[in-house]
Amino acid sequence: MIRLLRIARREYLAYVRTPGFWLSLLLLPVGLSTIVVAPLAVSQATPTPRIAIVDFTGEHLAPQVAAALNPRGVPPQAVIAPDPPRPFANPDDARARLQPYLRGQHPLPDGGNLDAAAIIRPDNHGGVAVDFWSRNLQSGGLEQVVSASVGDAIRRDRLRSLGVDPKALSQVESFAPDVALYSPRAASGKVELKDRLPTLAGLAMGVLLLMVVLTGAGMLLNSVMEEKTSRIIEVLLSSASVPEIMGGKILGVAAVTGTILAFWMTIAGVLVAVRSPQVASELVGVFLQHGRWAYFVLYFVGGYLMFATLYVTIGAFCETSREAQTLLGPMMIVMTIPAVFMAQAVGHPDLPLLRTLTWIPLFTPFMMAARAASDPPMWEIASTAALMFAVTAFELWVAVPAFKAGALATGRFDVRVFFATIMRRRPA
Amino acid sequence: MDAALAVEGVTKRYGAFTAVEDLSFTLGAGKILGFLGPNGAGKTTTVRMILGLVAPTAGSVRVLGEDDPARVRNRIGFLPEERGLYRRMSPVSAIGFLASLKGLSTAEGRRRARELLVAHGLGDFADKPIRSLSKGMAQKVQILSTLVHRPDLVILDEPFSGLDPANQQALEDLIRGIAARGATVIFSTHVMQHAERLCDQVLLMARGRKVFDGTVEAARASAPRTLLMEGGFDASALADLPGVAQLTTEPAEAGAVRVIAALNAGAPAQEALREAFARGLDIRRFELREPHLHDAFLVLTGGGDS
Repeated sequence: MIRLLRIARREYLAYVRTPGFWLSLLLLPVGLSTIVVAPLAVSQATPTPRIAIVDFTGEHLAPQVAAALNPRGVPPQAVIAPDPPRPFANPDDARARLQPYLRGQHPLPDGGNLDAAAIIRPDNHGGVAVDFWSRNLQSGGLEQVVSASVGDAIRRDRLRSLGVDPKALSQVESFAPDVALYSPRAASGKVELKDRLPTLAGLAMGVLLLMVVLTGAGMLLNSVMEEKTSRIIEVLLSSASVPEIMGGKILGVAAVTGTILAFWMTIAGVLVAVRSPQVASELVGVFLQHGRWAYFVLYFVGGYLMFATLYVTIGAFCETSREAQTLLGPMMIVMTIPAVFMAQAVGHPDLPLLRTLTWIPLFTPFMMAARAASDPPMWEIASTAALMFAVTAFELWVAVPAFKAGALATGRFDVRVFFATIMRRRPA
Repeated sequence: MDAALAVEGVTKRYGAFTAVEDLSFTLGAGKILGFLGPNGAGKTTTVRMILGLVAPTAGSVRVLGEDDPARVRNRIGFLPEERGLYRRMSPVSAIGFLASLKGLSTAEGRRRARELLVAHGLGDFADKPIRSLSKGMAQKVQILSTLVHRPDLVILDEPFSGLDPANQQALEDLIRGIAARGATVIFSTHVMQHAERLCDQVLLMARGRKVFDGTVEAARASAPRTLLMEGGFDASALADLPGVAQLTTEPAEAGAVRVIAALNAGAPAQEALREAFARGLDIRRFELREPHLHDAFLVLTGGGDS
C-alpha cells in the first residue's frame, strides 16, 4: 500500500510541476470570465447601428418604429440616422438612392455612416410591406423589431378604426397572466429554483465526470507510455506489484484532476455564495438531501476507476503517442454517446431509451448522475452500481496481467496481441 | 548456506517458441556472475524470471532463499538495458523515489541519494533536472538508483554500454565494491574484457540453452591455445606439426606469411615450434597466445552474434 501511495505521490508531483497543470488550473476560470465579460465588452465597444426609416404608407408608422427601436429605460437597439436627402419619389427611388449610403460610398449629413434602412410601403394586397436593408448580412435582429412594431401599429390603427377605445386597447395589450409552475415532484408543490437545482447538479456531475475521464485518459496514457519507452517500467515492475503501480498511477492522476476540480469548484462556490447566498445554501442542501452526495460519489468513483483502468492498460501496450491516439479515437466516439444523452436526461429522466443506456456499464455513471434529480429507485441504483463495479473488477482482473505483458512487450501496438493477451489473462 | 541464486531446470515458452530451455545454475553470495550470450540467447528472459517479472513455464527460481522473487524485491537492485529515468526529475528525487519503492523512507532515500551522488562526482548536479545532464552522467544516476538501497542481489543488464573508458573503470570498481560488501552481482555484457576482469563465474547461453557455466579460467580452457608464426615459408609445411589442430593463414608485411596454428587441448607448443625450426623454416617471429574469453565465447556459442 505504501508503494502505491509513493507512486501516486510521484505521479501527482510530476504533473503539478508542469506548466500544463497551472494552465489547466487557470484556464477554466479565465475562460468563464471571458465568456461573461467578452460579450459585454463587445457590446460596449460596438457602436449602436444607425437606421433610416422611410414610410410610404401615409400612416405615420415611422415614429412608432423609432419608438420601438429606442424603448424607454433600456439601451437603444438603433438610433435614427439623420435623413439622407429627401423626398423619395417611390420605394424604388428610395432603395436606389439609399444604396450608396449603405455601401459607405456617401456619408450622411452628419458625417456618419448608415447601417440599415427600413422602407415601409403598401403592398399589392392592401397591406403593408417592409423592405429592410442592412449594411451587414446579419442585421442583429433589427428587422424583427421593425416588423413587429409596424405590425403592432397597423393592428392598433385597424382596431381604433373599428371603434375600439384606445384606453381599453392599451389595457388589453398590457395584459399578461401571472403563470406559476406546479409539479407533484416539487417540495412545496410550486416549482422553485431549489426544485430545479438537483437536475442541474446531476447534469453538472455527469459533465464533470466526463471531463475528469477525458483529462485523466491523456495523463494516464502518457505516463505509462513514457515509463515504457524509457524502460523505467521494468524497474518499477521489479520494485512493486502491478496493482500497486496501476493503483498509484490512477490515484495520482485522480489527485491531479481532483485538485483542478476542487480549485474550480471553490471559485464557483465562492462566486455563487457572494452573488446569491440563498442559491449557495440551496445547492448545499441538494447534495445533502436524500444522500445525494453518496450517490454522486458512488458513480463518480466507479466511473473513474472503470475508465482509468482501461486507459492504464492500453497505455502499457503503446510506445508512441500515435499508437495511443488510434486507440483513444474510438474511445472518444463512445464517450460522445453519454454526452449527447445526458442533456436529454435533464428534461426526460425516465425515457425508456435513457433507462436502457443506464444499464450499459460504460454509460452508467454518466446517465445515473444526469438522472439523479428523478430519484431513481433503490433497486436500480444498487443494480446498476453493482454491475458497474463488477465490470470494473473484471477489468482489473484481466488488466493486471495484461498491463505486465504490455509493459514488458516491445514493438508496435498490435490489436490482436492486445486482445489475445487480455483473453489469455496471463503475462506474455 | 543458501546460494544467492538457484535456477533449477527452468524453461520458458511463448507459444511454440522456446526462449529458455532447461536452464540450471547456482550462484553463491558475494560472487560476480557474467551473463554472456549472443542476441536472442535468452538472457533477458532469464533475468526477468529471476526478477519474478515472468513466470517460468517449467522449473524453479530461488532468489535469496525465497521461491517467490516478489518477496525479496527490496533486496534486489535491477538496472535494465536501454534504460532511462524521469527526465524532469532531479537525480536526488529520482533516486530517492526508487529507493522509497525499495523500503526506504523518502527522507532516507534522498539522504543516501545525495551521499552517493557526491561520492561519484555528481554532487553539483544533484538538484538539476536529469534532462540537463550528459548521457554519461544520466547513466551514472541510473546505476546509483540501482544501488541506493544496498541490495543483496544486483542485476545489471549491459551496464557498461554508453560509458566512456574512465566511467567503465569506475563502474568496474563499483561492482567489485558491491561484491566486497557481500552482495551478489549478475551482469550481462558484450564486452568480454569486463567479464574477464570482474567475474568469478560466467554463464554462456546460446539459442535459449546454457552452453557454459563455470569460472573464467575454465571458459578460456574451452578455446584452443594458438601459436602464431610469421616468416617466409610455405604455410602448408606447418600442417603436420605435432599438436596442431588447424591452421589459419594471413598475409604479413614484406611478402611474409602469418600462420595461426590452433593447438590441440593439452598439446605443448614447444614441440610444434621445435619441429618447425628443425625443418629449417624461415620463422622470423612466433608467439604463444593463451585464449581469451572472447575466443571461448566464439567457440562455445558457435561464433554467434555477440
